[in-house]
Amino acid sequence: MSPLLQVKNVTKRYGGLTANNNISFDVAENEILSVIGPNGAGKSTLFKMISSFVPTTSGEVLYRGERISNNKPHIVARKGIVRTFQETTIFKSMTVRESVIVAQHLRAKASLAGYFWGSRAAKADVAAFGQYADELLEFLGMSEISSELASNLPQGNLRALGIAIGLATDPKVLLLDEPFAGMNHDETMRMVDLVRSVRDERGVTVLLVEHDMPAVMTISDRILVLNFGEKIAEGTPSEIQNNDKVIEAYLGSSDDEIGM
Amino acid sequence: MEQILANGVYLGSQYAMIALGLTLIFALMNVLNFAHGQMYVIGGFVTYTFYGQLGVPFVLALLMSCISLAILGALIEKFLFAPVIKGSKREESTMLLAAGIAFLLDALILLIFGEKQRGVPKIIDGVFNWDFRVIMPYDRILICVLAILSIICFICFMQYSKTGRALRALAQDRTAAQLMGVNVDRYSMIGFALGAMLAGLVGGLLVTITGINLGMGGPTSIKAFMMVMIGGAGVISGAIAGGIILGFMEAIGLAVLSQYGDITYLLIFVSLMIFLAIRPQGLMGKPWG
Amino acid sequence: MENITKRQLFNVGLFLFSIFIAVPLIISATGRWDFYFTLTSVALLAIASAGVWLTFYIGRINIGQGAFALIGAYVSAILVVKGGISFWISLPAAGIFAAIVAIFIGMLVLRLRGVYFAMITLVLTQVVTLTALALPITNGAKGISSIPLPSGVSLFGIPILPDFATMANTKLAFYYTACILMVLTYAALYRLVNSRLGHLCRSMQQNEELASSIGVNIAHIRIVIFAISSFFGGIGGAMFGSIAQSVYPSSFQVADSVNFMLNCFLGGLGYVFGPMLGTLVLYFGWDLLFELGKYQMLVYSIILIAVIRFLPNGLLSLQFGKGARK
Repeated sequence: MSPLLQVKNVTKRYGGLTANNNISFDVAENEILSVIGPNGAGKSTLFKMISSFVPTTSGEVLYRGERISNNKPHIVARKGIVRTFQETTIFKSMTVRESVIVAQHLRAKASLAGYFWGSRAAKADVAAFGQYADELLEFLGMSEISSELASNLPQGNLRALGIAIGLATDPKVLLLDEPFAGMNHDETMRMVDLVRSVRDERGVTVLLVEHDMPAVMTISDRILVLNFGEKIAEGTPSEIQNNDKVIEAYLGSSDDEIGM
Repeated sequence: MEQILANGVYLGSQYAMIALGLTLIFALMNVLNFAHGQMYVIGGFVTYTFYGQLGVPFVLALLMSCISLAILGALIEKFLFAPVIKGSKREESTMLLAAGIAFLLDALILLIFGEKQRGVPKIIDGVFNWDFRVIMPYDRILICVLAILSIICFICFMQYSKTGRALRALAQDRTAAQLMGVNVDRYSMIGFALGAMLAGLVGGLLVTITGINLGMGGPTSIKAFMMVMIGGAGVISGAIAGGIILGFMEAIGLAVLSQYGDITYLLIFVSLMIFLAIRPQGLMGKPWG
Repeated sequence: MENITKRQLFNVGLFLFSIFIAVPLIISATGRWDFYFTLTSVALLAIASAGVWLTFYIGRINIGQGAFALIGAYVSAILVVKGGISFWISLPAAGIFAAIVAIFIGMLVLRLRGVYFAMITLVLTQVVTLTALALPITNGAKGISSIPLPSGVSLFGIPILPDFATMANTKLAFYYTACILMVLTYAALYRLVNSRLGHLCRSMQQNEELASSIGVNIAHIRIVIFAISSFFGGIGGAMFGSIAQSVYPSSFQVADSVNFMLNCFLGGLGYVFGPMLGTLVLYFGWDLLFELGKYQMLVYSIILIAVIRFLPNGLLSLQFGKGARK
């Protein structure tokens, strides 16, 4: 079976700076794959290239054999590869429910003109969106805050809102940008369960960039390690834990990225 | 060809000074000063009043323009911009305020100086003529030299004086400057005054050549906006580059396109749009968004 | 949000009653016929302001509406005077032409944000004025004058619209036309904002990156919105030219573009009907201050500055506070 997502020899340079150098890996369907590495290892850049928020310098990203890199972000999103952001990137003056409804716009069956005139298809869409938003928020355990304004939410909920917005687009692959950052142990474990159930119950393949090592070790099927823009290791959590290069990379970095 | 070059340098030096004032205010407070052109006009009228009407020496009249605009700028900053910036979260509010101030200054100019076109006696007579290749009146050359000298003074001031360094720190990062102990409120006011002063100085210089009238404010602001967009907003080198580029484009356009009617600005605008589509931050601006 | 409450319906009914029945009655009772011209102007400027408001809705400060109003006015005037085409065809043509110009310009400049977009649109206004002065077809500074009044329209021999030239009271006819156009504009704006496109606009206004991550084609929507906005500008301008029976390069200038922007801000950006109120207040305010003669501009600008200084969220934020967010 061919992999769902293939990253092939991807390189990104900013001026003289190489953020990612010749990185290749595959993602299988229904997998949870984490990308880890010290600060500045090029994790975020890799994510941005997969979601086409920045173009690659060379190399390509394939989804079901079709090239998705060096495209427009909305086109990649329409194919089902959707990224989330860190918590500040939200629709500030929309409620949680409104945000989730807006995010469903790709499912719309009626045309924009249909909405303007209030066609039957548009009314059906509106009803379906509302229903699905309630379902999704229930699934994520966010029903109670559904009518809160996004700007009034505490940090932990913002992360969940980001995931809710991503999920509302009905993705095949969800790219999560540091979903556990700034969370305490309990919150992290709840989020781990949530991400798992997203994969198990909705069949979404999950890619995540993360610093929190214990969470990564618990959640991931496989882990990819970057250091200074290079891929230094790839494997199951236990393989990674015993990999000399990885240990060296983390011990070599002076800060406490490893978080253990 | 030489004539176009000379005209370009002459126009460019004036324009660069106008753009410098606008960009300084923008860099310091993120305010787009719509009233910049009106400040230029006031500068022209002040010099006209002192030099043209009261017979004060030109240099002193020029100084009066600078002083009155600096005071005006400081007052506007202290009593209007500073409280509005503090009180509202939207950047649009300052833009509206600037528009309101532009209207207000227009009204004041109308009441104080009237709506007539005013000119002053020539500061030097005679025309420089190099074999009919370059023809330029001496007063234009003098004004051009004065403008270039002022730009050099301004750059040195920003580079080497304590105030200049504080202003640059403020422009780079407001919070960091505050942490470093720069008195942000005071230097915002000084910066605004300085920007307004530059507008007044150009107004005072140019009144000797083009004269001055009420209607010149708006178009001057518009030109300043174009220069700032060409060079990149908030960057001193960008303002100078933008001024010189616009000056040259205008000089070339007037020379080459005059038989097709006045479509120079349409062409400049179209090229500006295409340029910005490729490079939204302008020549020297920092990339954003 | 989709359901219109009885109260809203009543308000709309009251509004329609007052502009179509009450105002003409009051004017004929008091004999202040000059008010028709003022109110007609307000209605037309409100149409153009509605367009500016719409560009605000995708997070762009648009100070270029004067340019599109001028373009619309010229297109209509040229079609009517030089092409001999009925005004009623030239009116939508003016709007569509303005929208097409907006599409070309928008493709280049809509990537710009914040003050950059504001600056380029402001420059656009000046450039269109200068171009109107330079081009032969616009007749330079002389402009196009003595534009005939709108002619009658009949379909299969049945008159639909009367010939304005034969009418005893063209002021009233223009007033009704302008009001109908304004009502249509705001009804369309209201529908648009509350439809899917409106939600997508709001998502873009708040965060373009996140919007594109959920599959919104932001570049496309920006252009569509800018085109609609300029369509309104073109319609407003064309109608204005027809009432004045003349168009000059100075008919819409930088100050007009700035005023359109002020109308929106003053009315409040959170409310669909904000720009209408803003236009009414600003234009009437300006008109009332006419008595002050040469101090008119001074007092007007001082009031304006005071409003911005003390009411940064617009006039509608005063009366309605929370509940009436439309």
